[in-house]
Amino acid sequence: MPEETAYSSAEEPQLVQWAKVGDMQAFEELVARYRDRIYVRAYSIMRNEDLAVDLSQNAWVKAWQRLEQFHGEASFPTWLSRIVTNLCLDELRRQKRARTDSIEAMEETTGPVENRMEVETIDPVEGLSRGELRERIDAALAKLSDKHRTVIVLYEFEELEYREIAEKMGTSIGTVMSRLFYARKRLASLLKETLKRDGLIE
Amino acid sequence: MNENEIQLKVQALVDGELTGREAEELLSRLESDAGLKALHTRLTVVRGLMADAELPRTLPESGDFHWSQISKAIELEERQAKHMARPASGANWLLRWVLPLAGIACLVLVLSLQQTTMPDLDILLGSDHELELSIEDLDVMTFNTEDDNMSVVWLDYSIDLQQDEIDLWLD
Repeated sequence: MPEETAYSSAEEPQLVQWAKVGDMQAFEELVARYRDRIYVRAYSIMRNEDLAVDLSQNAWVKAWQRLEQFHGEASFPTWLSRIVTNLCLDELRRQKRARTDSIEAMEETTGPVENRMEVETIDPVEGLSRGELRERIDAALAKLSDKHRTVIVLYEFEELEYREIAEKMGTSIGTVMSRLFYARKRLASLLKETLKRDGLIE
Repeated sequence: MNENEIQLKVQALVDGELTGREAEELLSRLESDAGLKALHTRLTVVRGLMADAELPRTLPESGDFHWSQISKAIELEERQAKHMARPASGANWLLRWVLPLAGIACLVLVLSLQQTTMPDLDILLGSDHELELSIEDLDVMTFNTEDDNMSVVWLDYSIDLQQDEIDLWLD
C-alpha cells in the first residue's frame, strides 16, 4: 500500500492501477480530481442539480465496479464521462416513458416549422470574454428540449461522431443530423436574442 | 435531393462527417450557390462558438460528503454481491433439494403400491390367451376362454395373502 502522501502526487495511470487492485484511497483521489468534471457533464444533459449529483455518484460506483474493463484506450476522465453520459441517457429514457413529450413530438414531425427558421448570423462578439459567452450559451442550452440539448452535448462536448450518437440515443444517423441542425438553429436564434438584449450586437 | 437534405449535408461538411467525393461535390456546389455558402458560414460560426463552451461548475456538495456517499454505495453493492454469491445455507439446501426429492419418492411409492394391490384383471378377459403377471410378491397366472365362458386364475401361494385379497382375485 502506498504512503498517504503518494496518492496526491501520483500520476493518473498509477492511481488507476492501484484502484484496480482494490485500493480505495487511490480511487478516492481519482474522485477528488474528476468529480467536478463528471458533475458538469451530468448537469449539461440533465439541467437539474440533484439529479446531476445522484447520477455522478452512480457513475463513480459503476466506474469502481468496472475498473477491470478500463484498459486505457481513452483517457480515464473520458471513460468516466461515457459512463455518466450513458446513465443520463437512461434517466432521460426513464423520464420519457413517464410523460408524453407532445411538444417535442410536434416539433419533430412538422418539418415546415423547422424550415421557416434560418440559422442566425452571429458575428464574433467584441468585448465579451469567453466566460461571459459561455454563460450565455449555457442559458440558451437550458432552453432547448432534452433531445436537442442532448445531441448538442454529445456532439460538441462529448465529441462523439454522428454514428456513435445514433447508437447511444437508439435512433438513426439521419435523425441525429436533423436534431443537431434544428438544435443549432435554435441555439443561434436564442443566442442572438440574448446578445441583442444585452446590447452586445445590433 | 430536397432542400432539407442539402442543408444536412452542408452541416455534415462543417462537422467533418462528409468526406471523399461527396465532400468535393458539395464544396464545388457551394461556390456557385450563395445561399448554401452563407449557411455553411453560419454553421461554421455556431460550431466555433460551441467549441469549449461547456460552462465549468463545481459540485454543489462538499468533496468529503460526495466521497462518503460513493464509498457507502460501493460497500453496500459489494455486500449485496457477496450475499448473492454465498452458497445456500443448510435450511435452504433442505428446501431446494431434499423436500422435492422426498415428494417425488412418495409419489413413486404410491404409484407402485397401487400397481401391486390393484391389478387390473379386466384386460385379460378380452380373448383366449394366457398372461403371466409377475408382481414382486405375487405370481398370478390366468387362462381365459370365451367359448367356455370361463376364466381360470392361478395364484402362487408361496407368499401369505390375506383371505379377502384372494377372494377379490377369484371373483
